[in-house]
Amino acid sequence: MVDLADPGLYRHGIPHEVFAELRANPQLSWNAIDGDPEDGFWAVTRHADIVAVSRDTDVFSSAAGHIQIYDIDADALSARASMIDMDPPMHTRLRRLVSSVFTPRHVRGYRRTIRARVRAALDDLANGGGGDWVSSVAKPIPIGVICDIMGVPEADHGYMIELSDHLVAGTGSKPLDPSAYGNTTDLRLLPFNSPAAYAMASYAGDLAKLRRKNPGDDLITMLIQAEVDGDSLTESEFANFFRLMIFAGNETTRSAMSHLGMHLVGFADEFARVRVDRSLLDSAAEEVIRYSSPILYFRRTALQPTELSETRISAGDRVVMWYAAANFDEAVFAEPLRFRVDRPAVPANVAFGGGGAHFCLGASLARLELVELIDEICDRDLHLEIPTEPEYVDSNFVNGIEHLKVVLR
Amino acid sequence: MSDLVRISLDAEVCIGVGQCELLEPTVFVLDDDEGISMLVGSAHLVPERAELVVNRCPSGAIRIAEDASPMGLESTQIPDG
Repeated sequence: MVDLADPGLYRHGIPHEVFAELRANPQLSWNAIDGDPEDGFWAVTRHADIVAVSRDTDVFSSAAGHIQIYDIDADALSARASMIDMDPPMHTRLRRLVSSVFTPRHVRGYRRTIRARVRAALDDLANGGGGDWVSSVAKPIPIGVICDIMGVPEADHGYMIELSDHLVAGTGSKPLDPSAYGNTTDLRLLPFNSPAAYAMASYAGDLAKLRRKNPGDDLITMLIQAEVDGDSLTESEFANFFRLMIFAGNETTRSAMSHLGMHLVGFADEFARVRVDRSLLDSAAEEVIRYSSPILYFRRTALQPTELSETRISAGDRVVMWYAAANFDEAVFAEPLRFRVDRPAVPANVAFGGGGAHFCLGASLARLELVELIDEICDRDLHLEIPTEPEYVDSNFVNGIEHLKVVLR
Repeated sequence: MSDLVRISLDAEVCIGVGQCELLEPTVFVLDDDEGISMLVGSAHLVPERAELVVNRCPSGAIRIAEDASPMGLESTQIPDG
């Protein structure tokens, strides 16, 4: 029996055959953990089921249990919680503090600064005649963009990348050093069980102090001035918000851009169409997002008994939505393994979530970043070769690529 | 002449993604202070556009109102004079 929680399963990318088998089961599949038949989760792999779970926040909670597979204690849950770990109406109140910054209308205002970052990254790659697509292109663009929006100084972008990587390492197979970054907090109280969360919280606190003295036109200033039901965010609420934005705004788009490097080579014929017809940019970017499915899963916890796909779910059961499986659901996507730059926009893929309250806040920003990158690649008529196999991130949570060596031709 | 349908928006469910404003800026506007979408004017659309907006709303806040029968275009016109 395959264990979807095993990071080793994703060593070569999305395990399409495993997911296809699970989708073919008319019921939800039970995934035992560590061979204990009593301990495990329901694996949700079909598109329609993920949409149903995502939209029913009354039954499928993000606040109970944990949004990752492993359970954490109640005190840890509250210490770690950002809005992604909350249900409406609290989630809604926090999200509305920042939602206006991420609408399609508003993110269009970032187009020029995004393009400048795209150009700088591709210049850097060209200067070396190639190199690591991930460290030259996929890493600097999204961290640069989200830090611009947040108000994190350029000099600290590298540190933010380092900390994000260390958070992801908490979803891998190797134990982390509890004392890294001078951490003294019990790891179980830290997001991703990673000491990097401690470092990020102290960094966020320092930056908040600076902005209280010198407010800026940025998200950090917005958050420290914000009030929810008449109260300012507490220190830990602010730190958790900061971490969520840096992580989600950086790691995910990075994964999509890393995969784009592979798609440019593996699906060169499809991108040849985009090179001559830029009206395909939006659908091409969306296909990169579907095909890369940067976040493999999120979990919900059932608050009451319910039924889904002929399966009885008990209160307290873990329900894990495998976005990377649903994005290749043959019931929704014709020829799902085919990469098509003109794939219809409806039905939407679930890479940003299956809808509902937790739909990705940064979806419009991520789409724009990818469109600008692909457009610039077309402008430059950039062509890549990949001489060696990519190295995937050790994680059951993100479909990331550690290194992707490319040669320009 | 095609009939129009009325759009409803659930402010409790809206999370301010802004797809609606992008698609139909004459019917939806994002309130930057509240962080959610607001309906403008009579909020009527042709059924095809209404369905598209409903489909593209990730939160599920937008619906085609069922409390009223489809309304003819002529009845929305402002009378002359």
